[in-house]
Amino acid sequence: MKVAVIGGGISGLGVAYFLAKLGAEVEVFEQKYLLYGASGRNSGGITAQFMDKELIEMALRTMKLYEKLQSEIKFNFLLRKGGYLKLSDNPRELEKEVEYQKSAGLKVKFLSPEDVKEIFPDINTNAFKAASYFKDGAVIFPWPVIWGLAKGCRELGVKIYDWTPAEVVSETEVKVKNEVKKYDVIVNAAGAWSAEINNKLGIKNDLRVVKEEICVTESLRPYIDPYIIHSNGLYLSQSMRGEIVGGIVGKAGEKSLDSSLDFLVKYAKLATKLVPKLRGLSILRQWSGVYDETKNGKPNFGFTGKVFQLNGFGKNGMSLALAYAEKASKEIMKS
Amino acid sequence: MDGRLVDHPILKFERGKEVTIYFNGKPIKAYEGETVAAALYAAGVRIFSRSFRWHRPRGFFCAIGKCSACMMEVDGIPNVRTCKVYVRDGMQVRTQTGYPNAEKDIFALADKLIDRFYPHGSHYTKFTNPLIRDFVLSQLRKMTGFGKPPKAVYEGKAKHEEISCDILVVGGGPAGMSAAINAGKYGAKVLLVDENPFLGGQLVKQTHRFFGSAKHKAGTRGIRIAKILEEELQKIPNVMVLKETKVFGIYNGGKEVGAVQKDKLLRIKPKKIIIATGAYERTLVFENNDLPGVYGAGGVQTLMNVYGIYPGTRGLIVGSGNVGLILSYQLMQAGVKVAAVVEAMPRIGGYFVHAAKIRRLGIPIYVRHTVLRALGKNKVEGAVIAELDEKWNPIKGSEKKIDCDFICVAVGLSPAHELLYQAGCKMKFVPELGGLVPLRTIYNETSVTGIYAAGDVAGIEEATAAIMSGRIASIHATVALGYGGEEAKKELEEAVKDLQEFRAGPFGEKIVSGIAKCMLSS
Repeated sequence: MKVAVIGGGISGLGVAYFLAKLGAEVEVFEQKYLLYGASGRNSGGITAQFMDKELIEMALRTMKLYEKLQSEIKFNFLLRKGGYLKLSDNPRELEKEVEYQKSAGLKVKFLSPEDVKEIFPDINTNAFKAASYFKDGAVIFPWPVIWGLAKGCRELGVKIYDWTPAEVVSETEVKVKNEVKKYDVIVNAAGAWSAEINNKLGIKNDLRVVKEEICVTESLRPYIDPYIIHSNGLYLSQSMRGEIVGGIVGKAGEKSLDSSLDFLVKYAKLATKLVPKLRGLSILRQWSGVYDETKNGKPNFGFTGKVFQLNGFGKNGMSLALAYAEKASKEIMKS
Repeated sequence: MDGRLVDHPILKFERGKEVTIYFNGKPIKAYEGETVAAALYAAGVRIFSRSFRWHRPRGFFCAIGKCSACMMEVDGIPNVRTCKVYVRDGMQVRTQTGYPNAEKDIFALADKLIDRFYPHGSHYTKFTNPLIRDFVLSQLRKMTGFGKPPKAVYEGKAKHEEISCDILVVGGGPAGMSAAINAGKYGAKVLLVDENPFLGGQLVKQTHRFFGSAKHKAGTRGIRIAKILEEELQKIPNVMVLKETKVFGIYNGGKEVGAVQKDKLLRIKPKKIIIATGAYERTLVFENNDLPGVYGAGGVQTLMNVYGIYPGTRGLIVGSGNVGLILSYQLMQAGVKVAAVVEAMPRIGGYFVHAAKIRRLGIPIYVRHTVLRALGKNKVEGAVIAELDEKWNPIKGSEKKIDCDFICVAVGLSPAHELLYQAGCKMKFVPELGGLVPLRTIYNETSVTGIYAAGDVAGIEEATAAIMSGRIASIHATVALGYGGEEAKKELEEAVKDLQEFRAGPFGEKIVSGIAKCMLSS
């Protein structure tokens, strides 16, 4: 089985790793450098608080795979289980969500703002009405995940070509540097660039690109344990380096990687409203990233002809991609 | 001992009211108008922080808010650059790295041990056993971060202002001031911003007289040139000057610029932008080059000429370019001994007149020599220099111990290119110009239309050339906006010719060949 994977992000390297373990001959093509896409630009929040049984299962499986792969590849991803807090201005809706997730077997708790204060004393209890707390939620540093997966892939003989744009010319052919190469299966794991590949091949899809902006503050001694996300779109957490990493959930539309001043102003307002003590902190860096999402919020997964779709993870790529990559590898080997 | 200068042949230090600040709880005498870092230095404090990994001592270094070595907690606010904050009576200043504090840090032991047990990158590759991994991670997390989380909610009121202008000039040194004057005089609405509380950039440290023709302000001391330019600026009502204002980002191809002025966010909407952010000092690789007491020339000049504080009692100067030579002279002027000047090249780099002055004062200049290492545990207590062979390798047996308590590295400058890079200007590494510089037209416009570079940020020269290049950029921008008519167009061509003539001499050769490598057709 000869497989070409388009995209060197978490889904592409993930599927390459699992395929190689099952004995496939795999080549990964990354148009820029590893970490250029959303896998290198996200804030590393890991959760299973989804409104779909399959997504919950896959997220839990992904968390197990992180543990397993760290030991297997002998590389630490700096996975820190500090919990995942979803804050909401709509307690009734959130309570329903928590009930559903509980029924699906997820250990998640519905909390009042006062309960949240016990987890994170500096939070402003007036800035939200209720919270859903997933104790096993985590923050991961996305870079070592990619470095580690790349290491694991290479040790299994996977060829990773960075700075190598690959044009998918047919369902089984990839054009690289004017040379057309043939494969049994092509995996479309190109994140925000997946739709372009599909459109060129005439494969129907509802993928749309979302741009999201993010920033980090100066480094402080660690004091924010959970990953926090608010229904107004704000999210923040504290990295292993002590920086407060945060952003605002993006909107579908432009695909540029430009940063904006509007974002900084909006983020600063929302973040200091939620955690007033962040006022006066300096922001050190800002950047943006793009990802692809589907209309129903579930990944675009499975064969379309000879092309395997492994994209459309939305903002949950870090929480879901590994389990889907593992499942994809099995389906590809069966084909 | 009080480390403050009292008598100086050229400079007068007017110190403000005496106040007391508290450093790790200890009272320290200071004067209003001094920065916290300067006051601590005058009181003999040499360790300001510890390095993140090895816990090596970090001290006073750049003096202009760039290097982060002086970050401390000030009145409960973490990560304050103390070289940029002025003393206030009763101010509580604490070091934030090291235990119990940066001066007496028990983790300083890490310097000797950490690489043996925990080489770089170990947090990814070691402790991969699941049980150990989680434990190590939780311990690692305790060691990370710099300042303590704020104890109280910061009281500053966030303010916000939108400013529109024809031309935004970033940087109020010689290039920026010249740009503002020349655009302003033709009627363009100019906003000049500088991150410092004063204009003049590095001119304010330059107590020596300039060379060249009278037209280029030769014979005038740098510090005086800064005053002359500022006076000219004040006469132009359509030039607005904002000091203590730091530009942090250029957005949307230059249509919007973000800046902070203390607690205020400025959203600037300029039609043209002139970047005149100057340069950074380069450092040199040698053993212990991070010891407190190893400085850049600019840091020493700021300490001595701006705040009137002795950098030490006896210095070793590395580099015999004009900066190194002038600094040696300035140190002697202030009553500080200079042990020697060391130069790696076979001849002195700076102007002959400066070198002759140094020689007359009896300072030895060692050409074909380099500094091998700084001596001392917590601060510089000496240095070892050695002769170099033709291949730039130290000759065994030629080592000499130099008795000194500070080392000043004056080995040139690199353009402060960040804003240009961030704005998307095409950049190129040109060694003749000191590093990464923007591609530009003869009018100093970069590859992004409407964004110009002027002064050292476009290539390391000196103040006279900076003034001339600021003039070219600003008149071109002014003409492009429809100001000045034929007169401005004529002056623009004159200004270009002027600078070409100025660079025509032997000292300009390197610059001219460097610029040829990054020319865009206009």
